Amino acid sequence: MKLYLYGIIDSSDQTKESIYGLEGSDVYNIPFCDIGAVVSQISQPIQDVTEGAVLKHEAVVEKLMANFTVLPARFGTIIDGTDSQLSMIQSYYKDFTNNLARLHNKLEFGIKVIWPADKIKENIVKGLKKGKENTPELNSSRGRKFMTETFDKYKIDKAFEAKADRVIKVMDMFFSKFSAEKTLATLKTENLLLDAVYLVEKDKQDDFREAFEHIKGGHPELKYLFSGPWPAYNFVILSKQPGLLMDSQQTDLLDKVTQDQMLVGANSI
Amino acid sequence: MHDAITKSKDVTLLEILDRVLDKGVIISGDVVISVADVDLIYLGLKVLLSSVETMGKLRGSPFIGPMQEAK
Repeated sequence: MKLYLYGIIDSSDQTKESIYGLEGSDVYNIPFCDIGAVVSQISQPIQDVTEGAVLKHEAVVEKLMANFTVLPARFGTIIDGTDSQLSMIQSYYKDFTNNLARLHNKLEFGIKVIWPADKIKENIVKGLKKGKENTPELNSSRGRKFMTETFDKYKIDKAFEAKADRVIKVMDMFFSKFSAEKTLATLKTENLLLDAVYLVEKDKQDDFREAFEHIKGGHPELKYLFSGPWPAYNFVILSKQPGLLMDSQQTDLLDKVTQDQMLVGANSI
Repeated sequence: MHDAITKSKDVTLLEILDRVLDKGVIISGDVVISVADVDLIYLGLKVLLSSVETMGKLRGSPFIGPMQEAK
């Protein structure tokens, strides 16, 4: 009997309501000590990753999230029967309980911020040109011209990155007030200024949303994508998988930021 | 308006896929029969996610709640 794993929960009890998973099978909990692995029977390994299957997986995890702390499993994890499932939980037990304790009563929120990179760069170029207005233009060779252009491009890129850092620090200052952990990725593309995930305590989620609205109101020229609450997909740290540690490490940009720097950033988009 | 809703659903789905296919608990070891081979599919999704900035064309407020539009 093959079992599809949805996640690990902080309870050995069965779910109060009936939940149906992939292939319409009953979802149930396989208890181990004080935790459990939530599974449903499945006839065969997943061949095709369909939108319906992914949404079903997420729907089950979200139903669990309403009543338990959940460590969501990656989509498509199938285990060979109940004995194997118990053996798996036993081998990961310490990792699971550590994560469940750390993530108890916490939710994940995603924030993406898009800025007008072209316009930002345009303004930087204007600023640089203004600074050169009083500098006499020298008759320059092609080599000198090339060097000057390369250096100008370097200065533009540096100014662009510095501006992104300033804006992100301001935003992060507000979001971090109400979050326990975070991962930040900046400038994944020139327009995707910030791709962040925050772990927020349940009783602070309204404050977190308010902080988001505050930031949004302060910078209406930017585009925002706010999503959540999610189960803590991005914050599960298993010691057996060092790769995950990297994904989940915090990126703390605030330590070196002064209040003045933040205010300058807030007014200079 | 309809176009905006469709795009919003697509973006919501991408947020779900980004988590369900790429994050969460990954179990390794002999007891695991399989973890769906999503690498190739996900490669395509990454490209889509990178172009999430095309959302800039969308007007209106951001969505809140992962499954609200997906249902």
